[in-house]
Amino acid sequence: MSKEIVAMILAGGRGTRLEALTAKVAKPAVYFGGKYRIIDFPLSNCANSGIDVVGVLTQYESVLLGTYVGAGSKWGLDGNNSLAAILPARERGEVGATWYAGTADAIYQNISFLDQYDPEYVLILSGDHIYKMDYADMLAAHKAKGADLTVAVLNVSLKEASRFGIMNTNKDGTIYEFEEKPEKPKSTLASMGIYIFTYKELRKYLIEDAKDENSKHDFGMNIIPAMLNDDKKLYAYEFAGYWKDVGTVESLWQANMDLLADKELDLYNIKKDWKIYTEDTLSKPQIIGEEASVKNALITQGCIVNGEVEGSVLFNNVYIGEGAKVVDSVLMPGVLVEEGAEVYKAIVDEGVVIKSKEVVNKEAKTVELVSDNAR
Amino acid sequence: MSKVVGIVNLHSNVSYKGLTEKRPVASVSFLGRYGIIDFVLSNMSNSNVDTVGVLIKEKPRSLFKHLGNGNSWNFNSKSGGVSLLYNEKYANNPMYNHDINNLVENIAFLEKSKADYVVVAPAHIITTMNYAEVVEAHQKSGAEITVVYQKIGNANTTFVGSDYLRIKGKQVVEIKQNKGNRKERNISLETYVFNTKVLLSLMNYAKKVSSFFDLKDTLAYICDERKIMAYEYKGFARCIDSYEAYYKTSLEFLDMDVNTQVFKSTWPIFTNTNDTPPTKYKKNAKVKKSFVANGVIVDGEVEGSILSRNVVIGKNAVVKNCIILNGSYVCPNAHLENVIIDKDARIEKMKELVSENDDEPLYVKEGDVV
Repeated sequence: MSKEIVAMILAGGRGTRLEALTAKVAKPAVYFGGKYRIIDFPLSNCANSGIDVVGVLTQYESVLLGTYVGAGSKWGLDGNNSLAAILPARERGEVGATWYAGTADAIYQNISFLDQYDPEYVLILSGDHIYKMDYADMLAAHKAKGADLTVAVLNVSLKEASRFGIMNTNKDGTIYEFEEKPEKPKSTLASMGIYIFTYKELRKYLIEDAKDENSKHDFGMNIIPAMLNDDKKLYAYEFAGYWKDVGTVESLWQANMDLLADKELDLYNIKKDWKIYTEDTLSKPQIIGEEASVKNALITQGCIVNGEVEGSVLFNNVYIGEGAKVVDSVLMPGVLVEEGAEVYKAIVDEGVVIKSKEVVNKEAKTVELVSDNAR
Repeated sequence: MSKVVGIVNLHSNVSYKGLTEKRPVASVSFLGRYGIIDFVLSNMSNSNVDTVGVLIKEKPRSLFKHLGNGNSWNFNSKSGGVSLLYNEKYANNPMYNHDINNLVENIAFLEKSKADYVVVAPAHIITTMNYAEVVEAHQKSGAEITVVYQKIGNANTTFVGSDYLRIKGKQVVEIKQNKGNRKERNISLETYVFNTKVLLSLMNYAKKVSSFFDLKDTLAYICDERKIMAYEYKGFARCIDSYEAYYKTSLEFLDMDVNTQVFKSTWPIFTNTNDTPPTKYKKNAKVKKSFVANGVIVDGEVEGSILSRNVVIGKNAVVKNCIILNGSYVCPNAHLENVIIDKDARIEKMKELVSENDDEPLYVKEGDVV
C-alpha cells in the first residue's frame, strides 16, 4: 500500500515541567479543554487533513498512550486503508533493545515502518501542541516550492522569540539559518516543530545522522543544520492561527483559560473548519442542580454541579458539592469538590478529592497544582 | 451455556405527535444525548446479549443511521451483531404490519441465530432490566414463555392501553388491556422470554388463527393453554406512550432521586457518540435544575429544562421547563416556557413562546424558523 504522505507524531516525551501531571502519563496524554487529551489535536488534524496513516512514537509511559490511541478508531483512522500505529522504542532484530536517543533517532528507528508505505513525503509532528491546522495546505506549499523540507513557523513577538527555535529566512521564504533559542533573534519566525520532508531526502539524512556518534540525533540541532549545510531547499511555511505549546503547569492552565476567552481556537466549529475528535465516555449529560451557579465555564458530560463555578473548565464526572466554589480552575476527570470547599486558580489532577470546607489557593497569585501523585 | 438472542420490538401503537412525524419512537431524542431505543439496547448489552434483531415498523432512516453496526452497544463482536429487521412487504398496510409478520418475513434471523432463548422487549418502556436474571428464572421454572410485569399503584394514569396480567401462583391465566379504571394492576412490560422453538411454533399458530394477530394478541389468546410464567420486575420502569408522557417522564429525570435509579456506574447507558466539545456557559448564563448535553452554548437563563447537543441559548433568553433537541437555536431575549423544540429549529421571530398548561407543552417542528 503506497501513500503520498505518512505522518509521524513524536509522543515519547515526559514533559517534566508539567510536574505531577506527568508523573504517570506521557505529556501527549495529559488532559486539556474539558474533554480532550493533548494528542487529540495532532491526530484530529491528520484525520481532517486526509492523512490516514499515522505513526505515534512513544517512549515515556507508553502503555496508557498506546491503549488510548489504539487502532485510531476515535479519529476514524481504523479503515481498511488507514491506520494509527503505536511505535514504541523496542527491541529490534539487528541492534537489540534501544531507546529513542532524540527526535531524529526516533524516526530513524522506524524507517522500515515508513518504507512499507513508500511515501513521497513524511510529516513530522509533535504530540504536545494545541492547534488546528490543515496539513494539506502545507503539503501543497511544499510541493509548489519543490522543497526538500518545509518547516511550519509562527510569527511570535520579538520578546518571546528567545524561547523558540528561530528560522531566519530570505524574502522568498527560503531558510538560510536556524538558531535555537537565540539571545538576539534576527527574526521572529518560530519553528512549531512541524516538518514536511521529501522522504528520500529525509531517509538519506537520517541514515547519515545515525552513523555520527557525536550527533544528538535531533531535528533542530542536527538534521536541519546538515541540510542547510548542503544547500538543500528549506522553506518556512507561516501559520496564522492559535498554537500553544503547553509545556508548563502555567501554560497548560493558560491554554484552558484561552478557551473560555474565545481565543482563536474554535472547538464549536462556528467557523465551519473542523472538529477535534476524542474519546467519548458513557457518562450521562451534565446535571446542573437547583442551587448551582455556572458562569463562563466549560463543563462536560457526567458532571454534577450543585455549587458555584466561574471561569473554570470541568472534565468528565466532576462533582461540585453544595456551597462549594470553583474559580479560574481546571478540574480533571473525577475530581470531587465537597460541600463548602473553595478552589481558586488551580489545576486539580484526576480523581483528587477536595475535602469539605477546604480552601485551595485563596491568594490566587500563581497557578496551584493539586495532585495525589508525587511531584 | 445457553445462547440468548434479543429482539427489540418496535411494533407498538405509540407516537409522540410531531416528534414522530418523520422518525420512529425508537429514535426520538431523550434526555439530551440518547435515543429512546438506547435504554433497551443497553439493557441487552449489559445482560450479555450480543445478538440483537430490531423489528422496525416504520420510518427506518434515522434508525439505520443511529444503529450502524451496533458497536456503540458492543454488538460488534465476531459472534454477535445487530440485524435490522424491516418488513417492506407490509410497510404500507397497517393491519398486516405487525411483529409476527415481520418475524416471519425475517425468519432467517431466528433460524441462523441457533438461540436457545429469545428475549423480546419494547423500546418505549424505559427500564434497567437485567434480562440474564429473567432468562435464568425462565429456565428454572420450566416454562415455555415468561412475561415480565410490574405491580403498579397508578395504573389509572400510566400504562393506560398496555396489557395487565391476572396471575395464579406464578402462572399467567389472563392478559387484558389496562383501561385505566383501577389503580393497582400487574402491568405487562411487554418483555418476554421464549424458548426459541416455542416462538417459532407460535408464529405459525398465530397466522392460522388470524392474519391480524400480533404477538400481544397471540399471547392473550393462548395463555390458558400454554405454560406462561409471570416474572415480577421491581426496578425502574416508565412507559413513554404519548407526547405528554414523553414530556413528563423527561422532566422527571431532573429529580436526582429518579435519575440515580437509572444512571448507575454498573449499568451504563450506551449511545452512539458525536465528538461534541464540552458545553460552554458564557457570562450571562444562569442555569438551574437542568440536564445539559455536550456542545451546548448558553448565555441565558435555563431552568428545569433539558438541552440536547449543540443547542445555542442566546444572551439573556429565558428557558423554563423546556426540552430543546439537537442543534436548535434560541435567539437573545426570547422567553420560552413549557415548549418542546425539535432538532435544528430557530426561535428568532417569536420572542415569546409560552404554554400556560404544563401538561401540554407547545411543539416546534424540526428545522422550523419561528
